[in-house]
Amino acid sequence: MIPKELLYTKDHEWAKIEGDIAVIGITDHAQNQLGELTFVELPDVGKEIKQKGELAVVESSKAASDVYSPVTGKVIEANAKLEKNPEIVNDDCYGAGWICKIQITDKGVLQNLIDATQYEIYLKGL
Amino acid sequence: MAEKPKEGTFVFEPATSSPVGSVLYNEHLKLTDKSHIAEFAGYLMPLWYSSIAEEHSAVRQRAGMFDCTHMGALEVAGPNAESFLDAVTTNNVRALQVGSAQYSYLLDAAGNILDDIIIYRREKEKFMVVVNASNEPKAKAYLAALNAGKAIIDLAKPDRRIKAAPVRDMRNTKSGPDCRVDIAVQGPSSPDVLCKLADTSVGQQLKNLKSFTFCQAKLASIDCIISRTGYTGAKVCFELFVHPKDAAKLWQKLIDAGALPCGLGARDSLRVEAGLPLYGHELAGPYNISPFEAGYGWAVKLDKEFFIGKSAMDKISKTYKMKVARLELSGEKGVRPVRQNDAIICDGICVGWILSSATAGTRQIAIVYMDKDVATEGNSVDVYYLARSESQVSKGRKQAVKKSEQINGDITGKVVSRFEKF
Repeated sequence: MIPKELLYTKDHEWAKIEGDIAVIGITDHAQNQLGELTFVELPDVGKEIKQKGELAVVESSKAASDVYSPVTGKVIEANAKLEKNPEIVNDDCYGAGWICKIQITDKGVLQNLIDATQYEIYLKGL
Repeated sequence: MAEKPKEGTFVFEPATSSPVGSVLYNEHLKLTDKSHIAEFAGYLMPLWYSSIAEEHSAVRQRAGMFDCTHMGALEVAGPNAESFLDAVTTNNVRALQVGSAQYSYLLDAAGNILDDIIIYRREKEKFMVVVNASNEPKAKAYLAALNAGKAIIDLAKPDRRIKAAPVRDMRNTKSGPDCRVDIAVQGPSSPDVLCKLADTSVGQQLKNLKSFTFCQAKLASIDCIISRTGYTGAKVCFELFVHPKDAAKLWQKLIDAGALPCGLGARDSLRVEAGLPLYGHELAGPYNISPFEAGYGWAVKLDKEFFIGKSAMDKISKTYKMKVARLELSGEKGVRPVRQNDAIICDGICVGWILSSATAGTRQIAIVYMDKDVATEGNSVDVYYLARSESQVSKGRKQAVKKSEQINGDITGKVVSRFEKF
């Protein structure tokens, strides 16, 4: 359920690090808590963001939730498919439901992220 | 310094305690993940089992059922029961027939709504009063204070008293043998579900049961008060009041008979779609909304000689300027949902705010509080989305919009009928 190769935040975002690029999304726990998403506010391409900065907003009919950036860098691509079909996040949060790609400018802050095992332990404690 | 409450206000400080599982908590754990269970009014209740949309549509198309065992059920009995309830509630209890139920309000002498309730007349001198879970401790304390002569009932006549009538908490199994908790079965095929658990004669009785009437009968050999009431806007709907020890058994029998368990999420989206008020949102709450503004003036009988809060209701009935209305907007995927407190805009001016909202299929329904003179069915109005995040605030999006403020809306909706039946 929790992919081993990703890094996580305690706010339930994930980051897939591919060289200098991070692909960002929200975890299965997050999408499950929100219920069916009806709207995703994507970040503008070119936006510079710090780790823990507000990156996107995901909304279901019951709640609006901020998505915080797991990394520091610049947004280079946003998943435009989510504008018309936000439910993709519910269906495939670790795959087709990715939110954006960020060019990492400070690799140092990656050490603040937790791995799959730590995230799993964290979830159990909630 | 705290503002002094208006004279005649019933002041109640609820005790704080950690939430407890509802009577059906173990049944919920069999059906859904713990992460879908949340605290509501002091109880751990399911938000949804499968999905809100699926459960919502089950109630509209077939039959859904709800754990309402957290709702308060109080018995008021004895020779003074009728006169007590008639003085304490706004509707006409004297006109209520045995076997019928009545929507009503519990007010204090200042006219504050303490709760909206349903009164069931079981016998000439025996009533069941169903109160909101969130208001149950307050309602119990208020009735006890009235019975003890410790609450002001009439500001004009401070020595006015009502004859006491014993009040019993019917959910408390220590209060007597006849105990009741509520399970609701709602939707077009709910009679079929109940008939599977009933004798032929009972089945026929259920099919003939009219709205806001009830009977006492056995379902799956379990003694039930079966009433044609509900909170989903379904034309065909039932509430079953059973002894707490039988609740889990009946719950399972209802599942076997084809009712889909539904959580609080669908309960809310169904009542919003139907336009039904929720205490604290469309009644009382931050805007202190009165029954007249909410569209329930008919449940406040100003022609009664007396009821607690009557003078305040008299005044409001003649002076109110805003009302509760229902708004329909697009609910297609990718449309940002409207939310509580988002502003209602008419001709570039804020005329009110959203109280509750929900997605139902491809439309959103919002229940709004807005100027009475523009809340006409068919009128187009806009909604301004308040900021959902800090970054939106930094881009200039407002976190609150005041009445009469000039601002442009983001999405257009249409005022539709105050209520809708399904």
